[in-house]
Amino acid sequence: MALGDSPNRSPTSIGRRRFLRDAGVALAAAGGGAFTSMAATQSQPFGNGERELVAYPQKRPLLRITTRPPHLETPFSVFNEGVITANDAFFVRYHLANIPLAVDLATFRLKVRGKVGTELSLSMAQLRALAPPVEIVAVNQCSGNSRGFFSPRVFGAQLGNGSMGNARWTGIPLNTVLHKAGVAAGAKQVTFRGLDAPVLPSTSAFVKALDIDVASGADVLLAWGMNGRDLPMLNGYPLKLVVPGYFGTYWVKHLSEITVIDEAFTGHDAWFMTTGYRLPDNECGCIAPGTTAPKTTPITKFRVRSFVTSLANNAVVKVGRRTLVKGIAFDGGTGIKRVEASIDGGRSWQEAMLGKNLGRYSFREWTLPIIPEEPGPFGLRVRATAVSGETQPSEASWNPAGYARNVIESLNIVAA
Amino acid sequence: MLGAASNHSGEIKLPPETTALRASPLPGYRIATQKCSICHSADYITLQPPAMSLKQWTAEMVKMQHAYGAPIDDEDIKPLAIYLTVTYGDAGTVSDADRSLPGPDPSAAGAVIDVQALLAKNACLSCHALDAKLIGPAYHDVAAKYRGNLEAPSSVADNIRAGGANKWGAVPMPAFPNLTPQELQALAAFVLSQP
Repeated sequence: MALGDSPNRSPTSIGRRRFLRDAGVALAAAGGGAFTSMAATQSQPFGNGERELVAYPQKRPLLRITTRPPHLETPFSVFNEGVITANDAFFVRYHLANIPLAVDLATFRLKVRGKVGTELSLSMAQLRALAPPVEIVAVNQCSGNSRGFFSPRVFGAQLGNGSMGNARWTGIPLNTVLHKAGVAAGAKQVTFRGLDAPVLPSTSAFVKALDIDVASGADVLLAWGMNGRDLPMLNGYPLKLVVPGYFGTYWVKHLSEITVIDEAFTGHDAWFMTTGYRLPDNECGCIAPGTTAPKTTPITKFRVRSFVTSLANNAVVKVGRRTLVKGIAFDGGTGIKRVEASIDGGRSWQEAMLGKNLGRYSFREWTLPIIPEEPGPFGLRVRATAVSGETQPSEASWNPAGYARNVIESLNIVAA
Repeated sequence: MLGAASNHSGEIKLPPETTALRASPLPGYRIATQKCSICHSADYITLQPPAMSLKQWTAEMVKMQHAYGAPIDDEDIKPLAIYLTVTYGDAGTVSDADRSLPGPDPSAAGAVIDVQALLAKNACLSCHALDAKLIGPAYHDVAAKYRGNLEAPSSVADNIRAGGANKWGAVPMPAFPNLTPQELQALAAFVLSQP
């Protein structure tokens, strides 16, 4: 069987169904009545997992998680197209509904303020002129990627495995701008705010903080380019903070304000650091379901993960014939040392061949030919080991917010 | 494509909201329609895992109130959680007694209506200002639009009650079905009185 020819290549069946829109009061007032439209849907393999595929501006049809604020997930079959995720397929995640729908570069400014020698207000042209552009290939992954698979389930955006993507980012190092402004002695953190804002003033703004040593790292970029093009609006045009190896929560979109502070970030607008996006403060970042962590800490780097992209759950392969299995792996920035796969439910493992290395923050492709000897179902598993030595656990851990899942992925495949 | 030569992104237009909360005689339905949709679309609710208990939905309402600053009162928490659990969660965790709880007491008929209190309780001024466009139109601009229109008081009252989108911008205004006719008239009169 040729690679990718599986009849079940998409994670689940894509169907078309009649979508009857409710004639609610808001709709009636807007002048509409009940009407029908055809919407393609795809089901995630967990309860209440049906998602519409909807095309947003500059995007192909993606899985709609929520409408306002917009939250879109990449259909998993996209990851078999290549290790770089196309801009029009890249996931979208906002937290607050008051989002920019247009940005005028004539008036857009990146402000740098706080504990600096000189406050800056830079146009995009001025920012680009500060230093030669640099490029880095890096994965961006939602903290809550795969939340829908948590057991027991938790509240939040019910994501499958597609809230991640790998792009070539173009920009200049954040430290170039920090250096130009002159960071004062005693600086502790740097905060980042974008043009998206809460609807109500009682809601915290989305402002993220990095410790000064992390913010000063050479790989943290102020990026305007994504795979050789301007950022799509919904991914943060015209400027996005790129923090390779760190979860997407730090990758602030429409970045407009950088503030250097000399204490830990607190206050009304610090909610997404002080309360949200935190894990239990222990080795596994986990607790027993239903219990409360005595202490929490901000989520930071990705844990090592790997996926099969060429076969979906319940795919059928030819018995006694060679099938080349393909997938991706990544970690929090040390790079991938080894990927192994098992076709006997995890009893024995074979080392896969690693593909081209696009850098330690990138998806790393892997391939492994398999030949199932007997007809019938078998368990296909994949496990990656990072250069750091970190590997994936065989049992999923649990945390109340549903973050950072990285259990060994397990697929049921049928040889026939 | 947004080329480097362009100095402007152009304006994107987002697809419309297509999910509405499931109608229910439970008092929490009206509160949900009115308050939740100020900050997020209904699919944030309909998306959630299917078997959450009353205890879990109650904790989620407390989180919305305290963590996200949602304009819900303490007395709203229980009816909201009951409606959401019965409609989207594990209905078996809601007792018959809880299902038959009356909703928050609407303003007694004939009572003096405090417009400022209504504005505050319903978070009107989070999206509207008297004389500047925020998320919704300035009251001053609404008054100007309706000046000389004899139907203005009832039209504006209807619009507050029913909510809607695309008259003034893309972000929909939630419906406020819990307001009494007297409260709606008072709010409409206040809006239309802006210079």
